[in-house]
Amino acid sequence: MNISTSTELICFAILSMVVVLGSLGVILLANIVYSAFLLGGVFMAVAGLYLLLNASFVAAAQILVYVGAVNVLILFAIMLVNKKEDLKPIKSLQIRRVLSAGVCAGLLLLLARVDLTTPWALPGPIAIGEQATERIGEHLFTDYLLPFELASVLLLMAMIGAIVLARRDVLITDVGTGDSVDQSLIEKASTPLLIDKSTTN
Amino acid sequence: MSMVTPLGTASQVLTTPGIDLELSFNQAMQGLGLSSEVAHLIWLPLPMLLVLVAAVIGVLVTVWLERKISAAAQQRIGPEYAGALGVLQPMADGLKLLVKEDVIPARADGLLFTLGPVLVLVPVILSWLIVPFGQNLLISNVGIGIFLWIALSSIQPIGLLMSGYASNNKYSLLGGLRAAAQSISYEIPLALSVLAIVMMSNSLSTVDIVEQQNGAGLLSWNVWRQPVGFLIFWICALAECERLPFDLPEAEEELVAGYQTEYAGMKFALFYLGSYINLVLSALLVSVLYLGGWGFPIPIEWLASWVGQSIDAPFIQVIAGSIGIVMTVIKAYVLVFIAILLRWTTPRVRIDQLLDLGWKFLLPISLVNLLVTASLKLAFPIAFGG
Amino acid sequence: MLGFLKKVSDYTKEAFGAANYLFQGLVVTFDHMRRRPITVQYPYEKLIPSERYRGRIHYEFDKCIACEVCVRVCPINLPVVDWVMNKETKKKELRNYSIDFGVCIFCGNCVEYCPTNCLSMTEEYELAAFDRHSLNFDNVALGRLPTSVTTDPSVQPLRELSYLPQGVMDPHDLPQNAQRAGQLPSEVLELIQQKASTIDSNESIKSSNQIDNNKE
Repeated sequence: MNISTSTELICFAILSMVVVLGSLGVILLANIVYSAFLLGGVFMAVAGLYLLLNASFVAAAQILVYVGAVNVLILFAIMLVNKKEDLKPIKSLQIRRVLSAGVCAGLLLLLARVDLTTPWALPGPIAIGEQATERIGEHLFTDYLLPFELASVLLLMAMIGAIVLARRDVLITDVGTGDSVDQSLIEKASTPLLIDKSTTN
Repeated sequence: MSMVTPLGTASQVLTTPGIDLELSFNQAMQGLGLSSEVAHLIWLPLPMLLVLVAAVIGVLVTVWLERKISAAAQQRIGPEYAGALGVLQPMADGLKLLVKEDVIPARADGLLFTLGPVLVLVPVILSWLIVPFGQNLLISNVGIGIFLWIALSSIQPIGLLMSGYASNNKYSLLGGLRAAAQSISYEIPLALSVLAIVMMSNSLSTVDIVEQQNGAGLLSWNVWRQPVGFLIFWICALAECERLPFDLPEAEEELVAGYQTEYAGMKFALFYLGSYINLVLSALLVSVLYLGGWGFPIPIEWLASWVGQSIDAPFIQVIAGSIGIVMTVIKAYVLVFIAILLRWTTPRVRIDQLLDLGWKFLLPISLVNLLVTASLKLAFPIAFGG
Repeated sequence: MLGFLKKVSDYTKEAFGAANYLFQGLVVTFDHMRRRPITVQYPYEKLIPSERYRGRIHYEFDKCIACEVCVRVCPINLPVVDWVMNKETKKKELRNYSIDFGVCIFCGNCVEYCPTNCLSMTEEYELAAFDRHSLNFDNVALGRLPTSVTTDPSVQPLRELSYLPQGVMDPHDLPQNAQRAGQLPSEVLELIQQKASTIDSNESIKSSNQIDNNKE
């Protein structure tokens, strides 16, 4: 065994350990902020695994999308609603825990079976390394065009939904008077802050 | 076309003529009775160390420049007594921070509090991986080049959120949230303007991007083909570095010092170092992406042919390599100078103005810029990298 | 459609206008790069205080008649005049006089109203002390004269901005006899006298003319 393969093995061991322990931490830790940060660590370790597989573009995309966007958004959500409140005690918590543990164990068994029974082609196909970027682009615009476009439509829907939810100018009425309230005040500098009621009615 | 090859990867080294430091180092090590692999292992950290040292020296120079230029803009003298013209002042600052007490507030979260600054600094230093100072003068010519930088810089907000949360202080938390919001908002136009460049040079690699600009010296720099992209990139880079028109996360009038409020000593120094390394890095990347990187305003090949020398001659190679380094650094520091001038020219924007500028101005403009670049590339493949 | 186009063009104009203002600002800051710092490096260089500088108050014990006018005109009745009536001579006998410069606002009213001119303003402004009570100056301390900036050999005296020649902003390396902008008070006085004399002579000519006219 030469130096490069042993380094690779050590890296793999460390990264897998980070992934497994990190994921356990994400679900087991009581402090939700810790879970969120650990999730970021897990994402980064997964990116490291991609790097080991010589898929640098996927690794960078993993970091950009999962660490840079998804995880930061999760953290944002947690920190903006960082209320310290005790959860209500749930009835028959123990039974629920046992049940979910059973389901998870079943899933694990299923995965293990798939892993053991699938005839993996070893060693796998040779990594194309730096041409991967072009190959991914080609695939996205030829045979995976439909899923690609569908995903973009999905994202667009989510975005429009978010905008509709955030812009409440159609929905909100003044609690006191029952008039509709202009919520876009901050956007229009020219709108007078005090609306004359006689003209608006 | 090859210049000096001190830091090149092995595969490049074999294909390019000229001086090859790694190969000679390897041979010298083998002469001492070590195997080729061990020699490679010893070689590996050397370029990294060199770039780390270069980054830190770059920061020291930038801090000194910042203080001197700020002083000049306000008709003051600035640091004067530490060394000639105060050049040792940044060292003194660093030493002071080094020997200060490492305070962790009583109600803070010690682990996250310590991890935060590290998470801010490490991605920035890692990004130096892709900064080329010459044809082969970079740690690693990664295929995904500039994309790596964009991906790495997206880790930073996590560190900022972490330190903001761990400080257990409302100003810190607000500063951290602002920093994260700002860096997410400005990453998008930044990436889009980079994408336009990538589209023109058909490669993500920084080396290829510079090579594509160095056909006719000054005239072939990307800044002429991408003036809008250049401005967008520079504005976004300033916002990512939290430089003055956009330094809301540490706006001292409102947030004391933002996420740095509770930090002291070396942990504060890490933030400080991180922000300045980031500034130098951004300036270097602007010069790489838009100002022809290591290229001299007149192509070095032309100069060599006027002198009547072959470009592959070792002597010319050394000269070309040093010119490359000097040009990259000069361009970067001109941009740093502009950043410092901007600091004393522009007032800080409000948070809503900041987000307005990012989402409603820069984002549409960078999309239009991308579209125009794509159509120009189809229409004039010669000028826009067909 | 036209309205939309107008909006777009207005928006573009605004964006360019903003960029233009930004550039103008940059030009101003860049222009400062070639200006010399106006820093006065304090312990080594000091500005020469102007003629009417209101510094620490000087007091001459022997001139004082203990009339307490200074106390009355002081906004906070600060000066402490400690005197006793000498029954034999039926005169006030001054024992002590003190002003607390930790409280004084240097308005100069006492100096203005002092009937015997025993109070005067000096150009001393370095009054820092470790203990605020040491700022309470008694008649001995008040009687000390400050070291002048121009005579102190360890200090490089610099002229203030209004004492510099016209167009000069930098007090360093100024020739010794460079005159300040505008005229010196003595020159102004001379000019006035000249004018007065010419008016006088004119009037005398006029009057002589009148006399001549009368003759005719």
